[in-house]
Amino acid sequence: MRYAILLMGAPYSHQASHSALRFARALVARGHRLEAVFFYHDGVHNASRLAAPPQDEPHLMDAWTDLSREHEVALQVCIAAALRRGLLDEREAARHGKDGISVAAPFELTGLGQLIDLGTRCDRLVTFGP
Amino acid sequence: MHEHDEPLRDLLVILRHAPHGSSWLKEGLDAALVAAAFGQSVSLLFMGEGVMALMPGQGPGPLEQKGTAATLEMLEMYDIETLLVDAEALSALGLSADELMLDVTPVSTEAISEALSAHCLVLTF
Amino acid sequence: MLLHVVNRSPANSRVYEQALSGMGPDDVLLLIEDGVQGALPQLVRYYAEIEGRLFALREDLEARGLLGRCAESVQVVDVDGFVTLTEEAERTVSWY
Repeated sequence: MRYAILLMGAPYSHQASHSALRFARALVARGHRLEAVFFYHDGVHNASRLAAPPQDEPHLMDAWTDLSREHEVALQVCIAAALRRGLLDEREAARHGKDGISVAAPFELTGLGQLIDLGTRCDRLVTFGP
Repeated sequence: MHEHDEPLRDLLVILRHAPHGSSWLKEGLDAALVAAAFGQSVSLLFMGEGVMALMPGQGPGPLEQKGTAATLEMLEMYDIETLLVDAEALSALGLSADELMLDVTPVSTEAISEALSAHCLVLTF
Repeated sequence: MLLHVVNRSPANSRVYEQALSGMGPDDVLLLIEDGVQGALPQLVRYYAEIEGRLFALREDLEARGLLGRCAESVQVVDVDGFVTLTEEAERTVSWY
């Protein structure tokens, strides 16, 4: 089956992102296709390339990146939610005159329409909230 | 297993948070509006504190943060006309449907579970 | 048949009531994260009306030292079982 995950919790503060990653790994291990993870609300913080957790703690951004590269999972971050929370890629940083970049590939800033599209074309969409 | 005489509607957005206290209500409404703009059949279900979204006479929040009242006024323009409200949540807050800022359909608990089955996708906010 | 997922304890959140009101007669409910507290004998009464249709996630019970303390009527599944539940249900609704 084709799955999508909607993630709305920030890493570390809530278990949502940890649960979502654990679920994502389990579903690909079972042979399903994970089309995309859509990050909305505080979930956009999972995309932060500036996160620097201690060595002995999970690094969610790296984990999502590895999952994406290994299983071709799109990592789609709601641009409106991201900008409000300081998650900007190179293009948005330039557009808004910011001298830092907090989001990079494979995470992509996209519109909410992508979430709706995922809901339509995937067999299952599972939400993880804080 | 619920039998359906009608085809499933596309999206049910369940709104469970009140205005101003968090961004959930606005973010849920944005998702509903985008789906409607894409031509999907969208229903809203206000549960729990979510019914507060429909209070008449709301104003802006601190720092002039816009609320969601103006967005709700636009629902009709986006063809979102199915607005369900948990009847128990209304009475728990001492509200009646005719006081609210929009025309809504109060629904019983049983009708809530039926609504979930009657849509292809359910998103909760 | 729908799968409902609850991640908060009934001891400090009433979201479980909303989940229950969203449940049809064939639907099932999975407790995850702090929600697994609801599987304890003292708290499972909040879910009495869905006895036989209540699941709890093993990994979250284990992390909290609660494995083996669940009410007998609660079915414990691991994350692989969680995925299976989402396969079997037409859709999954999360209540947080």
